[in-house]
Amino acid sequence: MPRIYFKTVDRYVEFAEGEEVNVLRMAIREHCDVPWQCASGNCGTDRLVVEEGSENLDPPRRRERARLGDLVDEGYRLACQTYTRGDVTFSWDPDQVGLDDEPGSSDGGGSRAGWAGTG
Amino acid sequence: MADLMSHSEFRVALEEAFSGTMAKDASFSRAWATGKLHKQHFVHWATNHYHYIGPFGDYLGLMYANTPDHARDAKDFLLQNMYEEELSDDRHTDLLIRFAEACGGTRAYVQDRNNAMPFAKGMQGWMYYVSGRENFVVSSAALIVGLESQVPSIYRTQYPTLIDKYGFSEWEAEFFDLHITSDEIHGERGYQIVLKYADTPELQQRCLHYVREAADMRFAYTKALYQTYVEPDLGPWVEEDERQPALVG
Ligand code: FES
Repeated sequence: MPRIYFKTVDRYVEFAEGEEVNVLRMAIREHCDVPWQCASGNCGTDRLVVEEGSENLDPPRRRERARLGDLVDEGYRLACQTYTRGDVTFSWDPDQVGLDDEPGSSDGGGSRAGWAGTG
Repeated sequence: MADLMSHSEFRVALEEAFSGTMAKDASFSRAWATGKLHKQHFVHWATNHYHYIGPFGDYLGLMYANTPDHARDAKDFLLQNMYEEELSDDRHTDLLIRFAEACGGTRAYVQDRNNAMPFAKGMQGWMYYVSGRENFVVSSAALIVGLESQVPSIYRTQYPTLIDKYGFSEWEAEFFDLHITSDEIHGERGYQIVLKYADTPELQQRCLHYVREAADMRFAYTKALYQTYVEPDLGPWVEEDERQPALVG
């Protein structure tokens, strides 16, 4: 069975052969503590570093490319926007916040902090 | 009376409750996915869809009012879902109208209730009924597990076809792209709420009943779209893919 390795919390999540699964959905389902807020490619809170298995991921679509910009080339993906059909390993900073909420971001930060998901 | 199921048993039962009649297998969805529809069919689809899901914030608001204070995580989930439908980004119904306009429709046509099928109005009435009258766990099962969690499986087949076969831009088809992913998460959180709060055999069975009913409603509605708008142009639906389930839809 293929599996997602959520390295930061040292958890493996298996899924059925032949399926394509959404990475954030699997993380929420199995309580893997991936930070997230909007689930729609807006906030960037759920950006993950793809450590291995990028060939098993679907290519980023418009919303993800727009949100991540150059981070795509640095190996980042948004968990909510990403589907995998095979083994893959992800890591992240457990304390990361939305890209517009980071200190020094143009948005000033914190505008949607109250809507943080509990996933 | 059935016994109380464990979370994993109940989850499997919920998944099985709608897997036999998924809207992605209905004739209209199949004609869409195989590139057979015309732009005018999409205008009708968008118009009916507008009247079916347009009041989704209302449905969620009714469910919110029916959810007790002790289920704070469920209340917060409903509120967040409402916010995401209406305010966090482009309003979802505006994205739907953007798609209709790309197909030659107008906002006024889509929003006119007289242009929707009785099936769409029936779907809307059913959703008002369930969200307003049922226990919040049961309405979550019906609307979020039974309906919303089906959306990614439908749009993941239809979205690439819109871009590759029908020639829409990613911007024109953004409604679908957004729902592929957001409804994965809404659907999953819906499961978590239902698994947690359906804590008696009676509630579990009632959830299963409404998930089946939701799937049947959506399937019948999707089938009616084909019969009303497509069949006069293309004739009765004939499935060419042998791997498809043999559904009369
Ligand atoms: S959760 Fe906001 S971009 Fe994925």
